[in-house]
Amino acid sequence: MTSGGHCWTTNDIIPLLFQELAKYEEMEHQVTLTEKELLEDGFGDTPFYHCIITEIQGQNSSEDPKVVGFAMYYFTYDPWVGKQLYLEEFYVMDEYRGLGIGSGILRHLSNLAMKTRCTGMMFVVAENNEPSVQFYKRRGAEDLSQEEGWRLFRFDKDSLVKMAAPSEE
Amino acid sequence: MSTALKIKEEEEEDLAEELAEYEKVANHVKITQRDLEQDGFSNNPFFHGIIAEVPEQHRTKEGYTKIGYALYFYTYSSWTGRAIYMQDLYVMPEFRGKGVGKALMSKVAQLALAAGCHQLNFTVVDWNKPSMDFYLSQGCFDVTATMGYHCMRCEGEALEHLAQP
Repeated sequence: MTSGGHCWTTNDIIPLLFQELAKYEEMEHQVTLTEKELLEDGFGDTPFYHCIITEIQGQNSSEDPKVVGFAMYYFTYDPWVGKQLYLEEFYVMDEYRGLGIGSGILRHLSNLAMKTRCTGMMFVVAENNEPSVQFYKRRGAEDLSQEEGWRLFRFDKDSLVKMAAPSEE
Repeated sequence: MSTALKIKEEEEEDLAEELAEYEKVANHVKITQRDLEQDGFSNNPFFHGIIAEVPEQHRTKEGYTKIGYALYFYTYSSWTGRAIYMQDLYVMPEFRGKGVGKALMSKVAQLALAAGCHQLNFTVVDWNKPSMDFYLSQGCFDVTATMGYHCMRCEGEALEHLAQP
């Protein structure tokens, strides 16, 4: 197995990878997005996100390359500091960690961020995910929640519907 | 106040058109609009804006009738799909407590649902208690507190360092 990999886009194994990531995060029961929606939203006329994958070439050249990691991202905008690359999902398969694959994906994305004139790369990490928190902090990421008191708030579908209803005044 | 308040959507195209009208360069408008239309959501770093406007008789002492706004853009969750992120929500101090913020958020919620979104996300800083209380009263929940999600960013030197081979 070679330790190098390369990143390019595909739509074949994205749903499978997302499923594996959901399992890792123990959030499978929270997935309501269908495979059809996922593919249409990423690879239809108006992409809501982009994906990159890392493949490893097998020992024999006749073997198909194996997908071992992926990242899903999109662009956001902060009027104070400018365009940002938002890293929504980032996953390397368990047995392929510690080989520099994650770093390779981040390097590719950081390059892309700089090429597209983003001033930062943003993402969210669960505080109990110690390995990930350390992975990012080692690479100079700032914890805006801890350091600047940022709290992520959310309206889910039901509360969105209530809020969208015209008020009786 | 609520019947007099108008919430308008301001798209890049409208802004470009207004600008062009002002500068009287009609051809430039067509090119700009076409460029903007060709940008997909993912390639488009722009945000969308909505403005809260009051009638002339309610204008501020400086003469402003546009007294609040919200900025948002589309994002994506691999679990629930399309989402909206509200980047900014602002109401001029003298117009607070009159339902303007609620009206702006209601419009963002309508736009979110119209676009097939399942979530509206935004961040609040924890020392801004009035804002936090306002949002919680509207039915949202604190993802950082309940799920332990921390917002992180790599920028400047850290980003450059990550990009090096």
